[in-house]
Amino acid sequence: MTGAGFDGVDLDLLADYIGGALIGTPDDERIGALVAEDPVWREAYQRLAPGMATVGATLRDLPVEPMPGDLAARLDSLFVPAPVAVPDSSVTDSDAVGESSNSVPAKVVDLAEAQRERAAGARPRRRVRWVAPISVAAGVVIVAGFGLSQLAGDDATDSGASESTAGGAVPMIAMAPEIMQSGFDYDATTLSSPPATIGGSRTAQSAEASAHNDGLSAPDSGLSRLLDPGLLADCLEAITRENAGGELSVSSVDYASYTGVPALIVRFTAVNGGWAWAVGADCGTPGGDADALQKVPVR
Amino acid sequence: MPGAGETAPGDAELIRAHVAGDPDAFAELVRRHRDRLWAVAVRTVGDREEAADALQDALLNAHRNAARFRGDSAVTTWLHRIVVNACLDRLRRRQAHPTVPLPDGSRGDDRPSAPEPAAPAADHDTALVVREALAALPAEQRAAIVLVDVQGYPVSEAAVILGVAEGTIKSRCARGRARMAVALGFLRGEGNRAAGGHVPSGSGSVTPLPAGHDRRDQR
Repeated sequence: MTGAGFDGVDLDLLADYIGGALIGTPDDERIGALVAEDPVWREAYQRLAPGMATVGATLRDLPVEPMPGDLAARLDSLFVPAPVAVPDSSVTDSDAVGESSNSVPAKVVDLAEAQRERAAGARPRRRVRWVAPISVAAGVVIVAGFGLSQLAGDDATDSGASESTAGGAVPMIAMAPEIMQSGFDYDATTLSSPPATIGGSRTAQSAEASAHNDGLSAPDSGLSRLLDPGLLADCLEAITRENAGGELSVSSVDYASYTGVPALIVRFTAVNGGWAWAVGADCGTPGGDADALQKVPVR
Repeated sequence: MPGAGETAPGDAELIRAHVAGDPDAFAELVRRHRDRLWAVAVRTVGDREEAADALQDALLNAHRNAARFRGDSAVTTWLHRIVVNACLDRLRRRQAHPTVPLPDGSRGDDRPSAPEPAAPAADHDTALVVREALAALPAEQRAAIVLVDVQGYPVSEAAVILGVAEGTIKSRCARGRARMAVALGFLRGEGNRAAGGHVPSGSGSVTPLPAGHDRRDQR
C-alpha cells in the first residue's frame, strides 16, 4: 500500500513493523534501520504509528450493536425443540390409511430418523413409520407427512400408526405432499406453472414402480441417490438453508429434469413465499449446497 | 436445565448432550453466545440482513456437525470459527457477484484495493464513519480486526478462529489499521475526517520512535 504522501515507503511493511508482525523475521531489523536512519521512513513512521493506535482505540470504543429481536426469535424457533405430537389412540389404521388429497398420506417416512441412521452407518429402515410433522435438524425443515409411500416395505403399520396426525392430534399439516417421478423436462415456464398432466404421472409411476424394490424405481438420470430418505432430507435441508426463509413446507417432489439436466423439482412454501426449485443430483451433498438449477416464485 | 443449587453445564457438556440427543442443549448454547457471535457477524459482513443469514447458516452448520467437535479448542472458539467462515463465504460470493450499494452506504463489493477516504465528517458521527472505513477493508483484514480490535479477542484465539498463524493476524490487523488511519485522516499532521475533525482519545500520540525496535505485540 502506498499513497497519502508516503511515496517511497511500503506502508504495508511499515504497518507490519508497527504492529509487531515482523518480529522474528529479517524484515524486522531492516525496517527498523530504515525508520531510524531514513528521513522518509522516519516521517512516515511518525505519522502512521499514532494514527494506527488511534484507529485501534476507536475500534475498541465502537458501540455494541445488539442482536435484532426478530433474529433472536428466529434462532429460538430454529433450535428450541418443536412440540411433540401426542399419540391419538382414537385414530384407527383405517382412518389414517384412507387418505385423501387433503389429509396426511397413509405412509410416511421420518426423514430425520433416516438421516440419523445414515449418519450412524445404518441403512435406512424400510419399515414404515407413522409420524407427526417431521423435523429435520431440529425444526429447520418440517416436511409435513412426507408421503414416501413408495418406500413402504410393509403396509402393516407398527404401533406408531396411532401417531398419525390424520386424526388431528397436531393440525400442522396443510396439505399432503406429492411424490412424483414424471421424468418431465421442465423449463422456467413449466417450473412455474406445470402442465396439468404431470400431476397424474404419480399414479402411473407408482403402479409401474411397484414391481421394484420399495415401490419407486430409481431414475436413470442420476437422481437415484435422492431416493434415500436421509439424502433427500439433506437435500431439503440444503434448500432450506439456501432459501433462508425459515421453515419449509414441501408440497411436492418430482424426480424429473430441468432443461435436459436431471433434476429434482421441489415445490414448497416458506416465510418468503411459494417456490418451485429445480435442484441437481448433488443437492445436499456433504459440504455442498442445494445444487439449484433454477428457482422460480410460485403464486 | 439445572435446578437450584446445581451448576450450569459447561459449553463442552452442552455439546456432548446435544450430540447424545438432548433437544435443549444446543438451544442453550446458542442463547449463551449468540450476542457475541452476532457482533462478530455484523461487523464482519457489514450488512445486517446478510449477517443475520450468515449467523443462521453458521449455527445450523454447527448444530448439524456438532459430533465433529473434538474439543481441541473452546466451544466458543469453534462457534466463532464457523460464524466467521460463513461471513467470509458470503463476502466472497458478494465479491464474485458485485455490486449493490448496501443500506449503510458501504460498498457491495469487497475489493482489496486501497481504501477511499470516508464520507465527509460533517454528515456522519464517528462510529458511522469508522464502520464505513472498516467495511471498506479487504475481508481478511476486516475479520481479523473485528476479532482483535472490536471484540477484544487475544491474537492467539483470533488465529485459531481464522485458522492462520498469529503473525498473520498481527499483519492483517496492522495493515487494516493503517488503511483505516489513512482513510479516516488519523495520520499525524492531518485533520481527521471522522466527526468533523475530532480525534478520539487513545494512545495515538504517545508511540515512541524506535531507537532500535521494542516489541510491539498487540496483546
